[in-house]
Amino acid sequence: MDLALFGELIINGALVGLMYALAALGIVLVYRTSGLANLAQGAIAMLGGYLGWITIAWLGLHPILGALVAMVVMFAIGLGIERTTLRPLIGQPVIMIIMVTIGLEILMRGLVPGLLGSGVKRLDLGISDAPLFLGDMLINRTYLVSAGIALIIILATLALFNSRIGIMLRAVSDDQTASWSVGIRVEWAIAFAWGLAAVTGTAAGILWGGSQGVDWTLSLLLIKALAIAILGGLDSIVGVVVAGLIVGVAEAIASGLFDPLVGGGTRDIVACVIILATLLVKPEGLFGREHIERV
Amino acid sequence: MLTTIRAAACAALAALPLLAQPVMAQDKVLKFATPQDFTVVYTFVTAEYNQGYRDYITLINERGGLGGIKIDVLVSDHGNAIQRGMEAFERSTRDGAILVDPLSTPVSRALVTRALQDKVNLITTMSGRSDAADGTVFPYVLPMSPSYWSQVARMVDYIRQEEKDLKGKKLAYVYIDTPFGRESLPLWEALAKKDGFELQTYPYAPPGNEQSAVWTQVRRFRPDWVFIGGGGVGQPVSIKEAIRNGIRVDRIASWVWLSESDMDVVGRAEAKGVLKFAVTEQGADSKVIKDIIAEVVDKGKGAGPKDKVGTSYYNVGVMAAALAAEGARKALEKNPTGPFTGEWLNAGLTSISKFDLGGFLPPITITPEDHQGGGQGKVARWDGVKWVAVTGWGAANQDIIWEMIRKQAAEFKATGK
Repeated sequence: MDLALFGELIINGALVGLMYALAALGIVLVYRTSGLANLAQGAIAMLGGYLGWITIAWLGLHPILGALVAMVVMFAIGLGIERTTLRPLIGQPVIMIIMVTIGLEILMRGLVPGLLGSGVKRLDLGISDAPLFLGDMLINRTYLVSAGIALIIILATLALFNSRIGIMLRAVSDDQTASWSVGIRVEWAIAFAWGLAAVTGTAAGILWGGSQGVDWTLSLLLIKALAIAILGGLDSIVGVVVAGLIVGVAEAIASGLFDPLVGGGTRDIVACVIILATLLVKPEGLFGREHIERV
Repeated sequence: MLTTIRAAACAALAALPLLAQPVMAQDKVLKFATPQDFTVVYTFVTAEYNQGYRDYITLINERGGLGGIKIDVLVSDHGNAIQRGMEAFERSTRDGAILVDPLSTPVSRALVTRALQDKVNLITTMSGRSDAADGTVFPYVLPMSPSYWSQVARMVDYIRQEEKDLKGKKLAYVYIDTPFGRESLPLWEALAKKDGFELQTYPYAPPGNEQSAVWTQVRRFRPDWVFIGGGGVGQPVSIKEAIRNGIRVDRIASWVWLSESDMDVVGRAEAKGVLKFAVTEQGADSKVIKDIIAEVVDKGKGAGPKDKVGTSYYNVGVMAAALAAEGARKALEKNPTGPFTGEWLNAGLTSISKFDLGGFLPPITITPEDHQGGGQGKVARWDGVKWVAVTGWGAANQDIIWEMIRKQAAEFKATGK
């Protein structure tokens, strides 16, 4: 076993996993407040990436300013999605609401590239592609910076959930009726969570866009994000970080060590295997709360 | 009265088959269908390709058509889905299309049997089965362009000339793990055996937006040259990863699916030196592109934005349209009165001889036996601003390629697969 190869795969895999985790965070935020699976998060990340391209590449704003503007716009779009699409469905079966989020995913995936152009677009975040070596191991500089930013955003979200607003969101998550009874505006809390999910999705879309360019394939982050959210626990922000690291490292090892043995294709299997195995063995995920219904 | 109505109904029924005839001479319109993937996988190429295709056909029509006969391009989206591709094929042929150009390997592969049965010309420009070059087995499937095998062979031959000898050299083939990326693997093995170079192949998961683990292995192989075999988002990611892993940019080569927009994503200056196979002249300086700008685009009749005119994929679209139109012109020479069916057009397409569109293309000859047309192209290098040809037109290792074509075509003939 080449230890340098193994180490490089683990480090770069962990960095990629943290970037995936940022996309997964949006799924967790919506689930924590409303108990619903947000299956539009991939397309939200893609739309965020396109908005980042508009503000940074098209309008020429500094990458940080452009990203902030895109996040503000996406926060409003997140609020809008909740207000116009999901709130009217309150009281409807959960499956209908999940289908609506899938519909949103498909709609945005077709509409956004249709309107803004389907070719891959350059999004320069000012991160150098020059090699960065740690001994014999090459660390991907783009992933290193992006993973650092992702970790900061995830930790900030965690801090938010320990603030007054966060306590309100957690209360809504625990019991919506009880929250209503003590005067918490439950609809507002859920809308806020959607706005926040759109912001984290935008950050993920911009960081991935800086690495690969912006196009519809950003929406494929959904599968990785789902695997991470399910493995970490759909209501756990800490779980998102741990599961992100696990998924990223597992993918890198599968791709780096097993692909040469079996001729390729193992990377794509990892996320699916993780989703299946988690649901079979520990459905609430590594850090999720186990719901016990009293009958 | 009843008898009259019955007679009229019988006459109408009798006339139905006539109405269903593909296109009659008096219609003065030939229909070419381009059901393509505008929304899912091939989005990186389709818009520009289709724009070039339609602009060239508009140029022909603006000049009076082919002896007064206009060409109508039917456009639809199949989203790279086989079922939708089949539906689009049905709809197009029902609407009178005698040529269908789906620009998608999976869709065109699925349509092969149907095209052969219905005798509709299935054009597989720069895509589809490489063995469709064998016209004796695939009479109605026409690549009319260098297959992936021919593109790889040409580039390896260029590398051989640069290195003087490939014995002991290391070549890495990094490819998207789909049938499209795997198509050229048999040829790589054959060339490695013939030229004596050490070959390592590295598949990456589609669409290729994350390839770091693959390139970690490529770097450890210490290749002298790297050929990247993908399309769309995977291509710039491959180049960026190669640069990060310390591979010389001027040792990175690819096939035709590398465009100006890919270089934008990498960074125009950072990508300086990358090589690719070019099947047309590059840029907007050729006469045909200048004619399109003057007679179509500047008159407001262009099919897309002006800044895309003359891009790599636009020019490939012009090539496909020009070959289709030349085939129709040849067919009119052979049989001016039609009926304008798939068989009629096929006779023209397989009579194209040394067609080069004023030097925009290599001389292309299509015969009933050879549907590839010579497999020629240039090697072009990215100079930081544009693609610049570093060789003339040429093909390489066609003996090996035709051996493989005949072998696979024979398998298709025997098994239908």
